[in-house]
Amino acid sequence: MQSFGKGFVCPQLAKTVALGATALLLLAFFMAPAAAAAKVTLTFWHTYNTQSPEEKVLLEEVIPAFEKEHPDIRIQAQGIPYPDFHQKLITSVAGGIVPDVVRMDIIWTPEFARMGALVQVDRLPGFEAIAKGAFPGPLATCAWQGHYYGVPLDTNTQVILYNKKLFREAGIQEPPKTFAEFAEVARKLTKKDASGKTVQWGFALPGPWAWYFLPWVWSNGGAITDAKITRATGYLNGPRTVEALDFLINLYKEGVLAPTIAQSGLDSWTGLGQGKYAMTQDGPWAFPSLKAQYPNLEIGSFLFPAGAGGKSRSVVGGENLVIFKGSKHPKEAWEFARFMLSMKAQMEMATTGQMPVLKAAIQEPYMQNHPYYGIYLEQLKTALPRTPHPAWAKMEDTMQQAFQAAVAGKVSVKAAMDSAAEEIDGLLR
Amino acid sequence: MSVDGVATHAHPSAPGFPAGRRPGPWHPSRQERQEALAALAFLLPGLIWFLLWTAYPLLKSFWMSFFHWQILGGSTFAGLAHYARAFADPVIRTALENTLLYAVLSVPGQILFGFLVAALLDSITKGKVFFRVLYYIPVISSWVVVSLIFMYLFHSEGLMNYVLVDLTHFLPRHVPWLSQRGTALLVIALLGTWKGIGWSMLLFLAALQGIPSEVVEAASTDGAGGWQIATRVKLPLLRPMLMFQVVMLTIGAFQAFIQFYIMTGGGPMNQTQVFLTYMYKQAFDFYDFGYASAISFLLAAVILAISVVQMRFFRQDYEY
Repeated sequence: MQSFGKGFVCPQLAKTVALGATALLLLAFFMAPAAAAAKVTLTFWHTYNTQSPEEKVLLEEVIPAFEKEHPDIRIQAQGIPYPDFHQKLITSVAGGIVPDVVRMDIIWTPEFARMGALVQVDRLPGFEAIAKGAFPGPLATCAWQGHYYGVPLDTNTQVILYNKKLFREAGIQEPPKTFAEFAEVARKLTKKDASGKTVQWGFALPGPWAWYFLPWVWSNGGAITDAKITRATGYLNGPRTVEALDFLINLYKEGVLAPTIAQSGLDSWTGLGQGKYAMTQDGPWAFPSLKAQYPNLEIGSFLFPAGAGGKSRSVVGGENLVIFKGSKHPKEAWEFARFMLSMKAQMEMATTGQMPVLKAAIQEPYMQNHPYYGIYLEQLKTALPRTPHPAWAKMEDTMQQAFQAAVAGKVSVKAAMDSAAEEIDGLLR
Repeated sequence: MSVDGVATHAHPSAPGFPAGRRPGPWHPSRQERQEALAALAFLLPGLIWFLLWTAYPLLKSFWMSFFHWQILGGSTFAGLAHYARAFADPVIRTALENTLLYAVLSVPGQILFGFLVAALLDSITKGKVFFRVLYYIPVISSWVVVSLIFMYLFHSEGLMNYVLVDLTHFLPRHVPWLSQRGTALLVIALLGTWKGIGWSMLLFLAALQGIPSEVVEAASTDGAGGWQIATRVKLPLLRPMLMFQVVMLTIGAFQAFIQFYIMTGGGPMNQTQVFLTYMYKQAFDFYDFGYASAISFLLAAVILAISVVQMRFFRQDYEY
């Protein structure tokens, strides 16, 4: 073998190519039967928790039931961790390789709808019935410019959670119903040791995020924007909003609110579980996790207290099912969406902590006897969605930056919200 | 010499090897042409990879930086608007300050400790490999993992506060290390330093072992002591290596991302943003790909400018 060139072209490469080709052929051979059995395969991306029963029930109960009803459709479900999900969706839209059906956070639906990435579903067969049967709050999160681009799949909201033992010790009988009562109770539940160090806080706002402070704003009659979402000035910096945020920040400065509001200290679950925080706020998923970690913790719950200018309100969370425009099988994808909205599928998922979106679900015995869904369903009656606008991510960021600056004492709440409102006005224009 | 092709051609003096070619215009023989073709075949996968995953995205994002970029089409021309916006953006200023501060806090430490460890390892005879591996482990550890470990250590209820406050009463109260700008930058720079020492050490060690023993012996014969040999003989010989490290580590510091993204996310209030976390936020939180691209090209310009200045500063006037 004299020449480098010849040596290169001949045996090794040929061998590698041959091996690779064989491997590919084998792979194709093994994969073929699975693909050939069904006429249509739908890719379904979701963020169901792989650690909890959510994904197990989806894969072992719900999807097999659908495939039995529709033998010509096969669902390929892929779980993706929530923190990566948004970017993965953006990348797949940009790259033109999209999943057929996606279970996405309700707050992303307007963004993807505006991008033109979603199938408009309000003229599809059966949509009317779904729209009539669903809670209006979650349904509203699928709307963009007068049309619907998905169906609500599951819903949730937050309520106040508290440590029953600490309430008993402090002699508190009734859960507080107003901001004033809440402040009084929270003060009673705050304890210092001999050296003046706080050992127990009355309440922990889990973090300085809009998801946590919005229920307080709304319960005081405040708002982010006007109803038509054209401007924030006069709303985000309005007296009711400022008053609600001041209420939280003043309690924090008083030492009644845990340092979680400034992203410090024990996280809200650990604090509640260890008896350091008497109250916090969270969604229904907190119950099973807290129970598992702190078996002796007695968790109580009540609705958000109402401020002087409003009534108890919380924030709507949850997921929507959307169909991507790039899907080659939108008809089959819609069949799957309809199935997921059936009472059967909704109740299956309800057993894993996913609250159903169907109004009729309240009458189901499972829901009636459930230990903590009742309070969330009650709170959902008045819960509000976050602003359904494509610029929400930026709006939220702006609000949070302003709130954090006020928490840090760098500016007054009013001044912080004035400039945040002005900035958000620019986003809405 | 082996008759086998590989062994023959691996030697530079062998006929047909490019280095042995006579000067003048190239009239390739059949064999030479074949070899060029073979070389191309070897280079092609890497070249395609580079064009596809480096050159193309680079040019594309430069193009995007002049548009109000929309993912699914309908982008409109923005001219220099994104660049103008960046110059007026207070967060860009913060990011520049933070990035500079991170470089200033982390680069000298890495080099200094890297050199010390290398000098120590160079002088010991036993356990050289063991310690070399030990110091190199942080370098090959995942940024994500070590960031999470540091987060745990410096959490406001974490180990560091426990030791400094509850155990030793060195500090009066728990420090929210990662929730305020100054301490967060300090902690992240500490992580960067700790993680980078091994890299610097390995390069210095290689350079130290490359110093011919004759030079050291000659200095010793002339009456130079250990300190003099270190500072007057070895250090000047390490100068090119030092320059290489300063430039590379500074570039690395400007490209810091994972540690900031994980440990502070640029918060609170954008106080700990660096160029890449802010770029990422614009791109993937706000889909402002045009602005994000402009930010990354500004970063490239800053890195280029700093590297040029550094190279000038370290230019070698004399040779040994």
